[in-house]
Amino acid sequence: MVATFLSRWSNGPALQVDGWSASAVLVCCLILGPIAALVVTAFGDSGGLWSHLVSTVLPRYVTNTLLLMAGVGVLAICFGVSTAWVVTRYEFPGRPLFEWMLLLPAAIPAYIIAYTYTDFLEYAGPVQSMLRDMFGWRRPADYWFPEIRSLGGAMLVMASVLYPYIYMVTRIAFRLTPASLFEIAIVHNKSQFWLVGLPLARPAIIAGLALVLMEVVSDFGTVEYFAVETITLGIFNVWLGMNNIVAAAQISLFGFVLILSLLGLEIYARSRQRYSGGTRKHTGLPNIVLSTRGQIACIAVCMLPLLTGFVIPVGVLLKLLMSGPVGTQFEPVYGTILASLGLAASAAVIIVLLSSLIVIAATYRGGVFVRQLAVAASTGYAIPGTMLSIGVLIFAGMIDRSWSGLIGDQRATLLLGGAGVLMTAYIVRFQAVGYGAMMSGIRRLPDNMMNASRVLGQGFGASLKRVVMPLLGSSMLAGGLLVFVDVMKELPITLLLRPFDFETLATYTYQYAKDEMLEEAALPALMVVIAGLIPVILMNRMLRRAG
Amino acid sequence: MTKVKSINRTARMTVKLLLRRVATSVISMLVGLTGIATSANAAELNIYSHRQQFLLQPFLDAFTAETGITTNVVYASKGLAQRLKAEGEASPADVILTVDIARLSEYSDLDLLSPVDSAVLNAAIPSELRASDNRWFAFSTRARLVVTSKERVAADAISNIEELADPQWEGRVCTRKGSHVYNRSLLASIIAANGKDAAEAWADGLVANMARRAQGNDRAQAKGIFEGQCDVAIMNHYYYGKMLHGDKEDHRAWANSIRLVFTNQGGRGNHINISGGGVAKYSPNRENAVAFLEFLTGSLAQQLYGEVNFEYPVNRSVAPGGVLQSFGEFKPDTLPIERLAELAPQAQMIIDRAGW
Repeated sequence: MVATFLSRWSNGPALQVDGWSASAVLVCCLILGPIAALVVTAFGDSGGLWSHLVSTVLPRYVTNTLLLMAGVGVLAICFGVSTAWVVTRYEFPGRPLFEWMLLLPAAIPAYIIAYTYTDFLEYAGPVQSMLRDMFGWRRPADYWFPEIRSLGGAMLVMASVLYPYIYMVTRIAFRLTPASLFEIAIVHNKSQFWLVGLPLARPAIIAGLALVLMEVVSDFGTVEYFAVETITLGIFNVWLGMNNIVAAAQISLFGFVLILSLLGLEIYARSRQRYSGGTRKHTGLPNIVLSTRGQIACIAVCMLPLLTGFVIPVGVLLKLLMSGPVGTQFEPVYGTILASLGLAASAAVIIVLLSSLIVIAATYRGGVFVRQLAVAASTGYAIPGTMLSIGVLIFAGMIDRSWSGLIGDQRATLLLGGAGVLMTAYIVRFQAVGYGAMMSGIRRLPDNMMNASRVLGQGFGASLKRVVMPLLGSSMLAGGLLVFVDVMKELPITLLLRPFDFETLATYTYQYAKDEMLEEAALPALMVVIAGLIPVILMNRMLRRAG
Repeated sequence: MTKVKSINRTARMTVKLLLRRVATSVISMLVGLTGIATSANAAELNIYSHRQQFLLQPFLDAFTAETGITTNVVYASKGLAQRLKAEGEASPADVILTVDIARLSEYSDLDLLSPVDSAVLNAAIPSELRASDNRWFAFSTRARLVVTSKERVAADAISNIEELADPQWEGRVCTRKGSHVYNRSLLASIIAANGKDAAEAWADGLVANMARRAQGNDRAQAKGIFEGQCDVAIMNHYYYGKMLHGDKEDHRAWANSIRLVFTNQGGRGNHINISGGGVAKYSPNRENAVAFLEFLTGSLAQQLYGEVNFEYPVNRSVAPGGVLQSFGEFKPDTLPIERLAELAPQAQMIIDRAGW
């Protein structure tokens, strides 16, 4: 996401100072505060632990992390791009249905899909039991079956739920590709996909991929459950195993730098490319009608990610739910649903407002400095949730101490202990999501729109209100919904920073799942999925209008 | 010129409006929920707990019924100590509850606990099970032992934890990840008993004997034995009780397939760990906090540890319940629990090198 928007911003004055850019800078600095707190922590003394780590486990952590990123990235691109292409360019039975159903896996948190696949594919699960019955095998030594709790298993489950990030943006890109370009390929009898669709959708694919990779690096639940030793898992071993928060902060910054350099590489590679003329739709170009065999192939392409990312995990959850008494389970979950919805909705509103402020300031008011700061402020997404929480805690502690000093009451708090610190952490983490959605919205507006309005005598505020904001409505909604789903699913930050006696569906699920009490975890897990479905469906309606 | 001014004015007003809206919504959220944080109420107790809710709730209910003090809890497992540290003097937390000495010592290392001088606690808890400076106390103990397949392993095939590294168990041992706090403490106890080099050789031998990559929790190891993936595993004793007396038929079958082996009974005794807690340094309801710790060592709560989670009481005047007795008597390792925490970083380094 970061990569896509940076390349456009190469000109303009270094810094303009006005109310807009000043408040955007202030908000960015507040968001960067917790990240800075982590950096400061990392420069503490780790007691020589770093050299032990480098010589023993760090190479393994880094290799595993890179392999996981590569595997999930490739698989998610395959799933996301192929399905996006098929549903935008071909005509086959069930196409309108697949169009929105392909978004469904986005509603399932990776840790929940990890639990369900383990239940499904492990030695005692239905698949292996069936195989044993069929072939008369009796012991594990009698046959070979891939281990789901492995690097490969993690790649599969994470790609299955993360590909919608790529699908969603790529589908828009394919729709917005001018029909004339496809026609040229048709006339010359060349591949529409390889020569036109894919190259022009590349920025969108990269934007989606960036989000996917950041999710991969910061994931803890899945890698912990599958015992895949990534950088994130390593952070916890060092921190909790050796009581060394400094070394843990160092490793997390290392992972952070890894992500940033990947993004930087991409920005560099594309710095001289420009993609324009993106506002015309390919209306008038009919979808390609295929032979029966081709239609079956299209359906298969769409079914595969849908099965692995949604149908199977939800089926397993339903089966688990049915095996216990349903009525008694629902009662304790009820209040939790309300808490989750309220929290996710407030976070979505706050983040969208802040992102709008930043994006407007960065696009129309501030110079290069504000733009770069805005990009920097959306990197919290790449830091593992628990480490980010530590940064937020240190930062909030500083603010609260100044506050209590100011009003002369040592017990007074502004952030800590209440929902404020939780909300701050959500903002730092999910700013990237809101920012990305708003930025892609504002980029779609013609550059001269604001100038035209100003030339016609409207002030900046009036132009914003009458011209820009109405056109950004759908982006605000998209960003808000994405944040909403993300907060619903969020686990490590909520677990650590929540106020007293406060449960969300995610924390409720986790307390049982971590003890392998999957039957008890099934109902709240399904609730997370259902709550995630509503925005997914809304999102699809919007996408349809956008395209 | 006037136009530029008016543009600036409108822009500034829009910013103000936008900011005011953001601020109102943020503030209303904060006001709604910070109230709890600052209150020090005579009849309240705020707990930060690493223990899961369904394990802690029966104790809280009993405590409230006995004293009328209501409890508020945050349940989390990773980072609570950092939260407490960041909150500093403004922290609402009164009591910290956790399992495993490694986590308890994280709190005392960060100077987040305050010493409690209580005759009740000193009388109820043996000295090796509380901090020498009275900052933390154990409320229950758990034995980390070896379990073997009833079907494929002879009853007397193994008697010491050290034997798990013998080549005769090659391809037959299952455990959870070495870096898990339970295994780390176990390895620390082996370092304490046999020295660092012997412990490292043991870890290497254990890893060489593994039937599968270390994974899952302790329950998953019993499942592995039941399914025939492994013959020997390491487990905390209470998982056995939970599986055997839980309401899940498959779990009962797993439990019935394994045999408990208390290790090193001819020597130092079986490695034990604790669940425990202490009073937060800046506890706003300190009296209630101390009352709660004392309550946890009383006979009602000590019995409850056995009933809720099959853990052994620390208070020697309270006899273990019937189910616990059915596991058999055993001799626990009397190494001061503090040593385990001191040796934990060394243990983690060995685990890193062995790739456990």
